[in-house]
Amino acid sequence: MEKKRVDESLQVPAPGRVDRFGFVKQEHNSPDGLSRNKSALEYQREQKRLRKWRKMIGVGGSDWKHYVRRKPHVVKRRIRKGIPDCLRGLVWQLISGSRDLLLMNPGVYEQLVIYETSASELDIIRDISRTFPSHVFYQQRHGPGQRSLYNVLKAYSVYDREVGYVQGMGYLAGLLLLYMSEEDAFWLVVALLKGAVHAPMEGLYLEGLPLVQQYLFQFDRLMREYMPKLGEHFTEEMINPSMYGSQWFITVFSYSFPFHLALRIWDVFLYEGVKIVFKVGLALLKYCHDDLVKLPFEKLIHALRNFPDDAMNPDVLLPMAYSFKVSKRLEELEQEYEKIHGKVAESKAKQKQPQLT
Amino acid sequence: MARRPDEEYDYLFKVVLIGDSGVGKSNLLSRFTRNEFCLESKSTIGVEFATRTLQVEGRTIKAQIWDTAGQERYRAITSAYYRGALGALLVYDVTKPTTFENVSRWLKELRDHADANIVIMLIGNKTDLKHLRAVAVEDAQSFAEREGLSFIETSALEAVNVEKSFQTILGEIYRIISKKSISGGETGPASIKQGETLVVGAQDGNTKKTCCSSS
Ligand SMILES: Nc1nc2c(ncn2[C@@H]2O[C@H](COP(=O)(O)OP(=O)(O)OP(=O)(O)O)[C@@H](O)[C@H]2O)c(=O)[nH]1
Ligand SMILES: [Mg+2]
Repeated sequence: MEKKRVDESLQVPAPGRVDRFGFVKQEHNSPDGLSRNKSALEYQREQKRLRKWRKMIGVGGSDWKHYVRRKPHVVKRRIRKGIPDCLRGLVWQLISGSRDLLLMNPGVYEQLVIYETSASELDIIRDISRTFPSHVFYQQRHGPGQRSLYNVLKAYSVYDREVGYVQGMGYLAGLLLLYMSEEDAFWLVVALLKGAVHAPMEGLYLEGLPLVQQYLFQFDRLMREYMPKLGEHFTEEMINPSMYGSQWFITVFSYSFPFHLALRIWDVFLYEGVKIVFKVGLALLKYCHDDLVKLPFEKLIHALRNFPDDAMNPDVLLPMAYSFKVSKRLEELEQEYEKIHGKVAESKAKQKQPQLT
Repeated sequence: MARRPDEEYDYLFKVVLIGDSGVGKSNLLSRFTRNEFCLESKSTIGVEFATRTLQVEGRTIKAQIWDTAGQERYRAITSAYYRGALGALLVYDVTKPTTFENVSRWLKELRDHADANIVIMLIGNKTDLKHLRAVAVEDAQSFAEREGLSFIETSALEAVNVEKSFQTILGEIYRIISKKSISGGETGPASIKQGETLVVGAQDGNTKKTCCSSS
């Protein structure tokens, strides 16, 4: 929970008071791994990387598809190293399939925002100022940030009345809006929930949260297979994954993790799918494994919600995450889950596009 | 490993915080456990957890409090946490009548998922917003009486009655538990694990041990 001044100030904080992503700095700011000064060498390396990326994308994304088809592994490797921040918004739209949805549906977003009403309007309004409350873009009451966030969420709740609005979706939309326009963010949310490229995420938000339950089941099993000692300790202390993992899946690490880490996870998430959430979760547990196995119930819960700063360094955590190979096991565990609980429902409305995974 | 003094307690009581989204559950919890308030707190996704150890009726009680997400959709996850809880703080917002109207639905949730003899306290929060009040004290009071709940109004912002509300429910739980032990409802001093426990005495031998079961 952010500590914030209690007065309802409307003034925007001075530039020095926000970090490079626009979050208001806390007094005891934890290192974000970015604030240190860059050496000339690092700067040069970054410029070189940017040139490569620009070439790969082409003007406005014109070369992207071609490049991905020819060299998918190069793309994967580069994305895992992090998409350059200035290209992030564009690349996210290209890899998520949202650009195509936007082009196929001209005028739809405007229609949803302006003419339709949603049963969730009050729920959305209630949560607007509670989404990324420490980010300058969302701090001003009724300011452009809050308005866009409202529009995207309302539009989605009309577009997909079965999902409507569920708390947590604001973090998805809120993160995207920092990198793209309202309409682009809306179609990216659609691409994710309806499964334009990867498995649809809508089950995370449908009645009963069926996909949350399935993912937590899968995560619990994976975690026990990779870290049996910790698994046993969790059993003894009666820790179950819903105590710490729900928000990992529901908001793809954007709810309470440092923003620079969330962005790096999202880069990979949009290209490779939800697997990365499992992998990062496993990496977090592995990184803290030797401490966690010693902790009793209450301290465990605390530790599982407050990982140490050094674990939040993407260049440490992500390589560790990539080392877990989970695809095959995830599939098997999904089948196992379906055998017990039946197939996880997708919304009755048919998916917009076939699943390509 | 030496036990630190703050970990010694006579009883451990599990309590859940429930009620509509935005009524102030998380802030009541942070006010009670850390004396903090946050005007723009994030909505709770799933469940949160905090504890505080305090003196109630001369006993050291550790309150283990589960704060749940208020949105209806989240009940799929949160209702599992009602089980084993000895107390429930059912919160509404005195400025929002719908959150009061929904109290009956929350009671039904408790009846469906919680232990039958759970102690329930109704809390009307945000009394500092005097000019916006929309639920009269009398209405809530008589509703609570009809349903056999205790009732209090609080302001997490101004720290009014927060301490008292927790004290009251923990005291009520304590009285029920201690009556039970006297009347012979006591189970052996088994060391039940904390995660699921109804009530546990302190785990190790170096504090007074009192152990009972509520069901
Ligand atoms: N004026 C006033 N505002 C309060 C009080 N308690 C909470 N709030 C505000 O109400 C809003 C919601 O508070 P939370 O504690 O997050 O509500 P919640 O019940 O935990 O909501 P969910 O987690 O979504 O279920 C926040 O903006 C708080 O600052 C209070 O006593 N007085
Ligand atoms: Mg809350």
